[in-house]
Amino acid sequence: MEHLNAVLSGIPMTLLVTAASFAIGATAAIPLTLLMMSPWRPGRLLARVFTDIIRGLPPVVWLFIIYFGVSIGGFQFDAVSAAIMGLGVVSAAYLAEIYRSGVLSLHEGQWEAAAAMGVGRLDTVARVVAPQAIRVAVPAATGYAISLLKDSAVASTIGVTGIAYMATQDARSNAGGLPVYLFAAALYVLLAVPVAVAARLAGNAMQRKVSR
Amino acid sequence: MSNEASSSARALASAADSVTSQGGDVMVRLDGVSKSFGNAPVFRDVSLEVKRGEVAAIIGPSGAGKSTLLRCVNALESCEAGRITVGDATISAGDGVTRSQLLALRRRAGMVFQHFNLFPHMTVLENVSFAQRRVLGRSRKAADERSRELLERVGLAERADYYPSRCSGGQQQRIAIARALATDPEVMLFDEPTSALDPEVGLEVLAVMRELADSGMTMMVVTHEMSFARDVSDQLMVMADGQIIERGDPHEVMTDPSQARTRKFLHAVLER
Amino acid sequence: MNFLDSWLDWSPTLLNGLWLSIRITFVSLLLGLPLGMVLAVAATARRAWVRYLAIAFIELGRGAPAIVVLQLFYFGLPSTGLTLASMTAAVVALGLTTAAFTSEILRGGINAVPPGTLEASAALAVGPLDTLRYITLPQALRIALAPLLGFAILIFQATALCTTIAVPELLSQAYSIGSSTFQYLSVLILAGLMYAVITIPSGWLVTRAEARMSRHLRPAN
Repeated sequence: MEHLNAVLSGIPMTLLVTAASFAIGATAAIPLTLLMMSPWRPGRLLARVFTDIIRGLPPVVWLFIIYFGVSIGGFQFDAVSAAIMGLGVVSAAYLAEIYRSGVLSLHEGQWEAAAAMGVGRLDTVARVVAPQAIRVAVPAATGYAISLLKDSAVASTIGVTGIAYMATQDARSNAGGLPVYLFAAALYVLLAVPVAVAARLAGNAMQRKVSR
Repeated sequence: MSNEASSSARALASAADSVTSQGGDVMVRLDGVSKSFGNAPVFRDVSLEVKRGEVAAIIGPSGAGKSTLLRCVNALESCEAGRITVGDATISAGDGVTRSQLLALRRRAGMVFQHFNLFPHMTVLENVSFAQRRVLGRSRKAADERSRELLERVGLAERADYYPSRCSGGQQQRIAIARALATDPEVMLFDEPTSALDPEVGLEVLAVMRELADSGMTMMVVTHEMSFARDVSDQLMVMADGQIIERGDPHEVMTDPSQARTRKFLHAVLER
Repeated sequence: MNFLDSWLDWSPTLLNGLWLSIRITFVSLLLGLPLGMVLAVAATARRAWVRYLAIAFIELGRGAPAIVVLQLFYFGLPSTGLTLASMTAAVVALGLTTAAFTSEILRGGINAVPPGTLEASAALAVGPLDTLRYITLPQALRIALAPLLGFAILIFQATALCTTIAVPELLSQAYSIGSSTFQYLSVLILAGLMYAVITIPSGWLVTRAEARMSRHLRPAN
């Protein structure tokens, strides 16, 4: 049916926004985590405040701020960029917390052993801590990737043509009604499976790369 | 106290306590009991008897199935074959077991666990009163009175309004004993009661157990505490490789065992 | 400063919206939590069809984005003849979402109850219903409290999505002020601050509740 096709046509955009936001978040979270766990107190405070504020606002509000709020001269962000930026920043805040848990889960002894062997701090982080922290963090990060897939639906509020947007368009203009929304919901549930698989593969690849 | 003196004290106590008891009443009987976990057998065709007022200790190497056997007595573990009798309640593995049969069995036996298993969200007093109210139907007042009595008996009356997490391990175990006694069981089952405690702390618990034995309670104790097994128990059972390989008077068994396996185990335990 | 004056002007309207967001949060939780408890128990039921039904509902409720569920009840339902007012649709949608998520949290709480306490209850000849009511659920709820509070914060954030179904909550008010004054950035930042003032201290409460719970339930040994 054309209704279903309309909804299906939103898949590429949904996946694009999810993947791009996750990539930005996963990368930006690294310096954020380092700052959060650094010995420099003001830095830790800054990171803490930053993360709390980002996670304290609903993602849709951030999207509105970036899309409607930012107009420098005549310049405004287009919907897709605003969505990816907004969700990327939110992802960074959540993933930084996940990375931090990963690092904290390591036994104290790891740090001590490395220090006893005279390994410098940066090396310790890169060679000893990161590989193990990543292993612990992958399941949680995969879980986050799935919730990000769902959160990408809020981009429909600023006109990003993902699944949610297409479903609303179809329902309101063609009176598709209930089945269209049910189909869209089911689609998100089904898409979670390949997204989870992809996230786990990415995590494993990263692990292998870091662990040599 | 020598074994003869304590056993006559016990006989006096139990004669004074129960009207219908005779020295030879069997309180716990296992008949041809077998248990497997999936395909792995734990024990096969085990039989034993514990008389009223008797203290039976079960010792043996780890993994022999001692705890599992004990847990079959109050049906926390189910058996594939055999009959289990506690007091006048019996369950038969072959005939299928109904819920009311299970409850009847469990009402007659009280159990003390290695890790105490107190209810963390209830105060000490509530812990001891809970089953009295829900199982025996006692009023809150009557239950709390009895609870305080029992806590007094184990030396912890002042802890009644504390939460278990604020009590030490030894205290928690003594509270657990009070909790098990609160529903007036006929038999008390102890599953390695001191294994999770420091040796010094374990002594307070063993003292309570001795007092309980002296007052005439029928007890089955799985333990690694050899002095308790030797000095307090009337019947010592040695379990290894899924069988009770030796049983009898504790002094005889421990000084002159008839089985090589027993000898080997005792050597490892007593002469470290 | 100029923008502070505007902020003062806009505050009454925005605070009305905030109050509505808070009320929606409470009603959704009130509807969703008991249903979540039922689902948690149903998901472990012995009868297969009960289990499957519960699990299907939970997976759908957790897998569907909240914004889609909201629009489903407001825009989608009328095609079946049933039309809900926007507020009703909002609490029904968020209530069902709450039920789906909290059932998992509660199930986790139930699974985290130390099995030794259940054995002790069985050994005391306490029946299964009494064990569930006095031993399992009280412990499960204490364990689940912190994650449940964390989820409540997320539902509060989800009320912002009710903008799309014509509910005049905080974000919606901010947007209409923005569209009439063109001072989007200023009013959205103010709205954001109002969200943060609720969520950030609540988050600290959750962290403290978590710390206290792990201390209380850990045995002294």
